[in-house]
Amino acid sequence: MLYRASHFWARVEIFFAAALAASVTGLILLNVITRATGNAIYWVDEAAIYAMVWMTFLAASAAIHFRSAISVTILNEMLPASGRHWINRFVDLTIFVFACLMVWICLRWFMPLQLMEAGWDVKAFQGQTFNFIYAEPTNTIGLKKVWIWLVMPLFTLGALLHSGANLAYPGKTSQVEAV
Amino acid sequence: MTPLLFLVLLFGSVPIALVLALTALWYIYDSGNLVLYDSYAQQIFSGVENYGLLAIPLFILTGELMNEGGMTGRLVHAARVFVGGFRGGLAYINLLANMFMAAIIGSAASQIAVMSRAMVPAMTKEGYDPGFSAATTAAGGLLAPVIPPSMLFVIYGVLAQLPIGDLFIAGIIPGLILAGTFFVVVALIGLAKDFPKGEWMTLREASVALRNALPAFLIPIAIVGGILFGIATPTESAAVASLIAFAVGWLFYREITPRDLGQLFVRTATNSSLVIFMIAAANVFGWVVVYEELPQKLAAFISTVTSDPFTFLLIVNLCLLFVGMLIDGIAALILITPILLPIAMNTYNIDPFQFGVVISLNLVLGLLTPPVGVGLYIASAMSGVRPFTIFAALWPFLLAVTVVLVLLSYFPILSTALI
Repeated sequence: MLYRASHFWARVEIFFAAALAASVTGLILLNVITRATGNAIYWVDEAAIYAMVWMTFLAASAAIHFRSAISVTILNEMLPASGRHWINRFVDLTIFVFACLMVWICLRWFMPLQLMEAGWDVKAFQGQTFNFIYAEPTNTIGLKKVWIWLVMPLFTLGALLHSGANLAYPGKTSQVEAV
Repeated sequence: MTPLLFLVLLFGSVPIALVLALTALWYIYDSGNLVLYDSYAQQIFSGVENYGLLAIPLFILTGELMNEGGMTGRLVHAARVFVGGFRGGLAYINLLANMFMAAIIGSAASQIAVMSRAMVPAMTKEGYDPGFSAATTAAGGLLAPVIPPSMLFVIYGVLAQLPIGDLFIAGIIPGLILAGTFFVVVALIGLAKDFPKGEWMTLREASVALRNALPAFLIPIAIVGGILFGIATPTESAAVASLIAFAVGWLFYREITPRDLGQLFVRTATNSSLVIFMIAAANVFGWVVVYEELPQKLAAFISTVTSDPFTFLLIVNLCLLFVGMLIDGIAALILITPILLPIAMNTYNIDPFQFGVVISLNLVLGLLTPPVGVGLYIASAMSGVRPFTIFAALWPFLLAVTVVLVLLSYFPILSTALI
């Protein structure tokens, strides 16, 4: 069940990452065309960068599910099968610990509990915590930056799900496939 | 404790991005500077909030479109026109086609994959030694990160805060020298071994081959021309190149359709995220490097050994050859640049463009050296020749690259002349 949830979520992540890769291409091409015709649109560059950042973190979380991230496997290849098993368990556990630490880090950054205690009043929250995460604007696209930063908790939850599933189902691997 | 944790995680097969991120987390705890945890996630995010990095998915997409779009075969055919008639023609065709490909693809690993599939069976069929065929193809792949566009240069440019377009231009002369050296190596091997005879094309065949490859040549022209004449940034020229690659593959060669794009974007997103996520993690790892004053400490040590920039570069080359054997080239570049570049620039007055060209070529050499020679395994998997057989035939090429590395280290002008 957990592994199936992880697999489903990884596919969703890959789908959106691919869509974002397409939009990065589209936005940069739009920039080339509009600039060549003398009508450059000012927000395109920033939008393309954020699309790339979202693509990166969504696909990086999915890479945990697919166990496809780049690593130094020299020791792994030299060990016999039993040793390899234990080293893979060590990797699964390490990634899970990282995901748990990221949950804590994101809680420290977004401070959802403190925001709730402040009655969702951003000004009061800022006065109490000196955390200005909810006030920072983006440069050109007219959104609060916190909406863009939300990819970090999203990545964290994805990583937690995938690493938890990998920990519960050792040795199970799936391939990235068409979505 | 921090270095120990780093090594345990690194050699314990933990993904490199997480090795960097976890080491930084531990370092913050160890140093007692706990307030850094508050901005940790933001720091990871800002590591990839960079316009230059947009070129990575776009160059990967261009490579994918080119592979699927049937350009490889046509470029090989066009290379036949120029060098096909010499004795050992197919070996020279292999190198020339690799040069063309290097001007389109930015990654050695993907170029080795494509070219091994295309060239090794053809060469073996004509009577070349399989090991030599695979070795020539794998060596040709080394041109990819030097001849623009180059993924390593994009990453180095972002880390070193240098204009990526200028870095691309800095790679042109070294790329041509490297290609020239490979031609000499093949010719010398040809003196010792009897290569199969080549055949010149008739005028008619040649013109058909060139006409077929002409649309594919638009891609390097768009990339290099766009940057050289300052019309477009490297990112923009990569986007234009991907559009051309798609249009050519769809409308001229009719080997891809818009329906294939979904799968290509999936591969683009997954492959580029592997690289970009490592850069994100390197950004927090940078804290460790900066707070521990690693470059300063290392500089103090190395400057007691030598004060000569050339000797320094030779030492760096030796160390990096070793590092490249163990760690993937891109990961190694991300780890090494923040530590060594300040030393090279501040202590030895080395031009950052020269330094970038030298370490990029050096690290990519690690692709072909065991035990972690990814390129070697790719060439082996794609060609069916055993990795050891390829490596045994590869040493003349590796020697040639070493000579080029020494030249590039000694003469900064080779990297900086065109900038």
